[in-house]
Amino acid sequence: MTGKNMAVWWLPVLLLAGFTGVWHLQESIDQQKNATQLEQDQLMLLSGKLVQKLSLEYAPLMGAIYWTRVVQYFGEKHRLHQTNLELLWPLLDIATTVDPHLMPAYRFGSMFLSDHPPRGEGRPDLAVQLLERGIRANPEQWRLYQDLGNVYYFDAKDYPKASAAFAEGSKNPKAMIWMKVMAAKIAAEGESPETSYFLWQQVYQSTTDPMVKKNAGEHIRLMQVELDLKAINRLSDDFQKQTGHRAARINELVQAGLLNGVPLDPDGFPYALGDDGKAELNLDSPLLEKQLLEKQFSGPSSP
Amino acid sequence: MRNIWTVATNTFREAVRDRVLYNLVFFALLMMGAAILVGQVSIGIEDSVIVSLGLTAISVIGIFIAVFIGVGLVSKEIDKRTLYALLAKPVQRWEFLLGKYGGLVLTLTVNTAAMAVGLYVALWTVKHPLERSDWYVLVAVYLILLKLALIVALAMLFSCFTTPFLAILFTAGLYVAGVFAEDLRTMQAVGLAPETMKLLRGISYLLPNFENFNVMGAVAHSRGVPASLVWQDTWYALLYASLVLATAAVVFSRRNLK
Repeated sequence: MTGKNMAVWWLPVLLLAGFTGVWHLQESIDQQKNATQLEQDQLMLLSGKLVQKLSLEYAPLMGAIYWTRVVQYFGEKHRLHQTNLELLWPLLDIATTVDPHLMPAYRFGSMFLSDHPPRGEGRPDLAVQLLERGIRANPEQWRLYQDLGNVYYFDAKDYPKASAAFAEGSKNPKAMIWMKVMAAKIAAEGESPETSYFLWQQVYQSTTDPMVKKNAGEHIRLMQVELDLKAINRLSDDFQKQTGHRAARINELVQAGLLNGVPLDPDGFPYALGDDGKAELNLDSPLLEKQLLEKQFSGPSSP
Repeated sequence: MRNIWTVATNTFREAVRDRVLYNLVFFALLMMGAAILVGQVSIGIEDSVIVSLGLTAISVIGIFIAVFIGVGLVSKEIDKRTLYALLAKPVQRWEFLLGKYGGLVLTLTVNTAAMAVGLYVALWTVKHPLERSDWYVLVAVYLILLKLALIVALAMLFSCFTTPFLAILFTAGLYVAGVFAEDLRTMQAVGLAPETMKLLRGISYLLPNFENFNVMGAVAHSRGVPASLVWQDTWYALLYASLVLATAAVVFSRRNLK
């Protein structure tokens, strides 16, 4: 028998033994991937799943492309002052289905969805759905619980659920201690300017994106205004108790020794008292327009 | 062994002469463009985009080279009749085949390594200093290289018994099927008969599972890849490629070259 013929006889044996080895190796690779969560959900129920499959093994790039499309879409709508954001959810849905670990899509996407118009779509229900999906895929990311708590607190106004989200997130060993404090405070008090102020501060400090930082900064200034007005009104009430009449100008509170000077808003404009004796922003203050916009659209918005 | 090495180094030189490595210019331009643009069009995922785009480019360019050049390795030598002169020397057919394979894998290794350097340069421009987790990208690059080595083996096998056009089709088809190999095992939801399920399961293990080498999602999000998985993937690629090359060697040795 020649060498060539020998090889032909041996080849099936070699292939049989070899593919048995391949089978065993594949089984252990599957086990390994399952254990380390490298494998992704296989259900092909959403259109995002189809995109994921069509993108072969390049799903992360497709996810990034879809997320970039979300940003472009949202930015363009913002620029044109258009409030119809009907493609926002489908795009986010596909981006996060294609790449379930795309954290910015959950974090920023939930803001875009939950923020009230004209800043966002005004759909906290979809934002909750997106964040819950994010938490399922990335249970170790406690910031997603913070975002979920914020959506419930600011937009859905569901304080028990907001408290529960902060409490759940606080169980993560890496979570900041204030998550637990927020859970207790919201459970006890519901909405309060102090809580809102604190939550916006957390967003401001944790984000690196200039757009989100600017938005959070504006909200912090507005929350500061709200807290200042509340404090001035309290002093005005004290003044009324002492003198029997309501102060017409802030200077009266200063002269009565209740204030050291005329307080300034975060933009440096002095506060004033309105016709009803209640404290308000100066007519020249740029914050006045923002405050009116906020009031027009259901109070302080989500981060 | 010496014959194999001679054929391999000549194949590498030939690839360089054929300007195969020119794709690196395209890759460099792509990464430079991405590094400049990415910060302006996305929020919070600059480094992730660079990594996933870079790895995708490395993979796609590598696959094109592996398939198109892999298929041409044998057929070109036959068409140009240079194979006859070579086989007249004391070189076995299987040595020729292994040498060609080694040469292309060497070309792909150099090409992939250069692209990996380009990827790191682009990554560094959007994010410096680099973090420890950024070095996971090297693991992904290594696994892409294993995948490419397997594709070259398949391309060579098909080119041993069919036309270059069909060999390209077969290789590309098997690659796509291999990407979906895992899906064949998880099709219970479709409601197939148990016998069909068993058959599909068996086929899924026989197909080259290219998803084994896909860790782009993990490394793009700075997640580590277990060393044991890298080892298993290495063994998988070595074993599978050896089986394919052994089959190719047998087929090629029996091929009538007249």
